[in-house]
Amino acid sequence: MERTVTTQAAVKKSSSIAQVRYVCAMGASHTVSAIPGAIPIVHCGPGCADKQFINVAFYNGFQGGGYGGGAVVPSTNFSEKEVVFGGAERLHELIESSLKILNADLFVVLTGCIPDIVGDNVPAVVGEFQKQGIPIVAAETGGFHGNNFIGHETVMQAIIDQYVGDYSDPKEQGTVNVFSLIPYQNTFWRGDLAELKRILKGIGLKVNILFGSGCAGVREWKEIPKAQFNLVASPWLGISTAKYLEEKYNQPFLHLPTIPIGAKETSAFLRRVGDFAGLKKNRVEKFIQDEEDAYYRYLEDFSDFYAEYWWGLPATFATVGDSAYNLALSRFLVNQLGLIPAKQIITDNPPEQYREFIRNEYRHLATDVSAKAEFEEDGYVINEKLRHTDFGHKPPIIFGTTWERDLAKELKGSVIEVGFPASYEVVLNRSYIGYRGALSLLEKIFTTVVSSSA
Amino acid sequence: MSKKLKQIAIYGKGGIGKSTTTSNISAALSKMGYKVMQFGCDPKSDSTNTLRGGEYIPTVLDTLREKGSVKANDVIFEGFNGIYCVEAGGPAPGVGCAGRGIITAVQLFRQQKVFEDLDLDFIIYDVLGDVVCGGFAMPIREGIAEHVFTVSSADFMSVYAANNLFKGIQKYSNTGGALLGGIIANSINQEYSKNIIDDFAEKTKTQVVEYVPRSVTVTQCELQGKTTIEGAPDSEQAKIYTHLAEKIAAHEISHTPSPLDTTELREWASGWSKQILEVESRKVSAGA
Repeated sequence: MERTVTTQAAVKKSSSIAQVRYVCAMGASHTVSAIPGAIPIVHCGPGCADKQFINVAFYNGFQGGGYGGGAVVPSTNFSEKEVVFGGAERLHELIESSLKILNADLFVVLTGCIPDIVGDNVPAVVGEFQKQGIPIVAAETGGFHGNNFIGHETVMQAIIDQYVGDYSDPKEQGTVNVFSLIPYQNTFWRGDLAELKRILKGIGLKVNILFGSGCAGVREWKEIPKAQFNLVASPWLGISTAKYLEEKYNQPFLHLPTIPIGAKETSAFLRRVGDFAGLKKNRVEKFIQDEEDAYYRYLEDFSDFYAEYWWGLPATFATVGDSAYNLALSRFLVNQLGLIPAKQIITDNPPEQYREFIRNEYRHLATDVSAKAEFEEDGYVINEKLRHTDFGHKPPIIFGTTWERDLAKELKGSVIEVGFPASYEVVLNRSYIGYRGALSLLEKIFTTVVSSSA
Repeated sequence: MSKKLKQIAIYGKGGIGKSTTTSNISAALSKMGYKVMQFGCDPKSDSTNTLRGGEYIPTVLDTLREKGSVKANDVIFEGFNGIYCVEAGGPAPGVGCAGRGIITAVQLFRQQKVFEDLDLDFIIYDVLGDVVCGGFAMPIREGIAEHVFTVSSADFMSVYAANNLFKGIQKYSNTGGALLGGIIANSINQEYSKNIIDDFAEKTKTQVVEYVPRSVTVTQCELQGKTTIEGAPDSEQAKIYTHLAEKIAAHEISHTPSPLDTTELREWASGWSKQILEVESRKVSAGA
């Protein structure tokens, strides 16, 4: 049954957004810096790239710039001169200089709003370097094209199209390309993708994880066309790229909207992947068995606490965040912790064509639990919605961002920062997904709850 | 008492005779004793050629590109009878943003308070008339030109461009932008050409300021790099330009035009084309 709220907040839709929850398409420069050995080059006004970095990679788990991100990123710093006369020459000059002083296996030129509006012929400039055999691609990521989720797919497809190139040889059975969490925007992507790779490897797959420390860099990207199939593990992000690959390399894809958290979800996830890939059942089951053994041993110890600690554990929860984590957490909290969903707010502005599909996922969180997914990006409206949600008698727990902290205080509840911006979390390799990540998540949730009275 | 500077923008479809008309107005005003600046706002940067013996002058934007900054005085060149000539300039065709170029050039002049220092009576902006983006509307924004004139022939494409300009003026009229002084009808030799322009002016609630016939004198003077006022001062054509300049000098009050919407304009044009066809076919049968 869908929960009803006592006071339905009648908040008018605003044309402005308070409290940023994503950045513009050019923020996909982080998609590039998440590939070991790749460096983005940005063709945009001064400040664009820096703002993206400070937002997405600094005040969000303090992830840092890494090898090719942050302060390393070369920028044309578009000025009035380039606006009026075109910025192609300046870009050419910047690429030449970058090649002299930066070592990269792949450069990706990302455009900002100005050159996209003025109409700079960036593919032609980049094309000159491509002809010389330099590994470089161009992606049109002006902010008006959409947010960094849209930019993420634009960049991936640009790399596949211009760098990976054509392939028609046979596929490698048992190899998978994974399209899942968006690097950097998702605060825990490094640990999560590592866990995702670990479990998929565990059932016998060869995994191209494509981003983070578990990725072999651009040579892994070169392997994309050889894979038996693509796995899209997210509600919508990556589908467009998987479809693109289906057409380009005749590669099938499996779409599993829920990123698995906890043994129940993760085992089901692995069985579906195993079936799709045609893996040997006993190998898959053996891995699942081993993982579950370990997982439930920890959970057994935890159960004493969970059953006995009656000084205020939350019964209801709200999720505020990107659709991928939002859905994954909702399913975990409902199905494996027995919490009641009170308010589910999705903030990554998914394209219209995926929204009904996403709503439907929430309608069937469990056989007997349904929730309503709401799409909202404005901080004021989100606050109002949460403020008027019926969380019952106990203090609620909000899975959200730093922006929800003040409200959590007001509601005398707890907040777990699980998405951008997570400015009160320092994140190195922490993961909240799979078998191992779920244990960390449980630790985080209940440490927060029990320490709130400290 | 300081005199009032009058800023005028002249728009017209490319090739319709806008720069020719503007330069002749500037020349005539100058001969009447006024201090005039002509500011070319067309990336082709040939607005002031006939005021300078056919010479091109360095443009504001070229100078900005080379030096990084521009002192307005470095890009003002004196032409016929002491007229100050400026060309905004712009990018090479197909690259960059010409509209932004015009904004940059005009702003640069305003910031440096050049107009006040030169003690001008008139600034005439000669602007590419297909108002394709915000930049080309810069001269009609608040605080720049007060009066807009459009040069148009009776050719439908030219009238369409004028109608588009009227839409721009109407839009900016709510925010203190320039208003329409009227139409300068150019290349009017046929009776029906005059009727077409008159009818268009009436429909859009404006006026025709002057009818300028097509004249070979203009071409002859331009080939020598001169305006008609300079090259053939006693010609009939020069008298017409002088008369036009007098009217512009005396012009005080402009109005918001009522542009036709797309359907109205199409129907209006189709009505006229039928009439022209009848006139022409009568001529043919009379000649046979």
